[in-house]
Amino acid sequence: MSSRSGLEKSELDVPGPNTIRELPRAQGSGDQAQPLLPEESRSRGEAYAELRQRVEGGWEPRRFEAPRAELGRFDPERAGLAQVSLDAAADYVAQNRDARPWLTMADAASPEARRIIAGADVGGGHGHIRHEGWVTEDANMRRVAHLEDPAQLDVVKRNLGIDGLRENDQHHRCRSTATRITDPDAFATAFARGVEHPKVREVLDMPFDPTIRPKVVTVPIADLLGIHGHRYCSGWQLEPADGSMNTARTNRDAWLVARAEGRKPHSLEPKARPVPTFEGGVIAFLFERNHAENRYGIATMFPRPAERQAAGDQSRIRS
Amino acid sequence: MASFYWERHPDGPFATLIAVATTYLDPENYDLDSLKRLAEREDVEEMRVFKLELREALRDPSQLPADELSESVEYTDGSDEAFLSRLWHDLYGDEPLDAT
Repeated sequence: MSSRSGLEKSELDVPGPNTIRELPRAQGSGDQAQPLLPEESRSRGEAYAELRQRVEGGWEPRRFEAPRAELGRFDPERAGLAQVSLDAAADYVAQNRDARPWLTMADAASPEARRIIAGADVGGGHGHIRHEGWVTEDANMRRVAHLEDPAQLDVVKRNLGIDGLRENDQHHRCRSTATRITDPDAFATAFARGVEHPKVREVLDMPFDPTIRPKVVTVPIADLLGIHGHRYCSGWQLEPADGSMNTARTNRDAWLVARAEGRKPHSLEPKARPVPTFEGGVIAFLFERNHAENRYGIATMFPRPAERQAAGDQSRIRS
Repeated sequence: MASFYWERHPDGPFATLIAVATTYLDPENYDLDSLKRLAEREDVEEMRVFKLELREALRDPSQLPADELSESVEYTDGSDEAFLSRLWHDLYGDEPLDAT
């Protein structure tokens, strides 16, 4: 969160890739990005993943009723973000949408939510880039299975598992789940309420130590988005290998290395499946150090399911 | 559980080890270099506890709370023992495990 005056200056501290607005489909397994029907804008992969998410994850796209007055009162400085007017946020999205395609999600947001999303984008956090509605079900599925970073806008690099936000072409890392808040108003509401939650507040108000990073904090989804808030979350989880998620993660790395080196992998291709439910889940807040302002900020936030229960398994996943 | 081990058991065994490892090595926010710098600071009480717990866990990984380290850090080393061994080497180099 390093550019609080960025909107006025039209400057960004984070990389701004010059690329297209819709995620192109990476090469490799799966179908090519061809529309299903003339009126169908999704690729086959996107349609497939969304159908699985609806059937196996029980998720349906729905609009979140934005608490616009509450979002309008949100003070971005409480999160170390730039003060942004509604008009400035709209201008920012319009001017940067091609280079920063995740901003297109703000099109469907209320003006108050758009202000928060624009502020977060200027601030440099990545929650809205990897864990919001811009990321399709297909993209999240491929992130979990093949470590393809949705934030990587270079198709070749994404297919090679190169991170889109870290410098020097580092390999992308991903937990065994990849999740998102599927509605931009719900995302902005979770962010704004999270910033004011006592557990998060305690971290953001801590005395700054440039060497120390605050611990991860979780807040129940229901506390931030209401008792039905879990309906605005979706995600994919790596399929266990031999009943073990630990083995699955190790196999995923080995499979991807073998593929990159042109060798025949010794393990099966990693697979992902929808998270069955987010009911009872939490939003995890991860923090970063803002050395320029000697304070802590929110690096990212994402939904975390209550129980890592694999659909069809008789018992909880063992690591 | 959706919350992390150290949130549920702030005074539980190895809570500091699991919390610090997750904070710096979570795949969503991975930063081993920062953890290395922090490990050099002898004035941080938490890191003194971290080192003690890391040493204790390496001596007997079976004492770790079941699955908690793996589910929090989501390492790809294959086992708690392999992860902890790598972590010790990354942070403390060739320093013997039995040193006081």
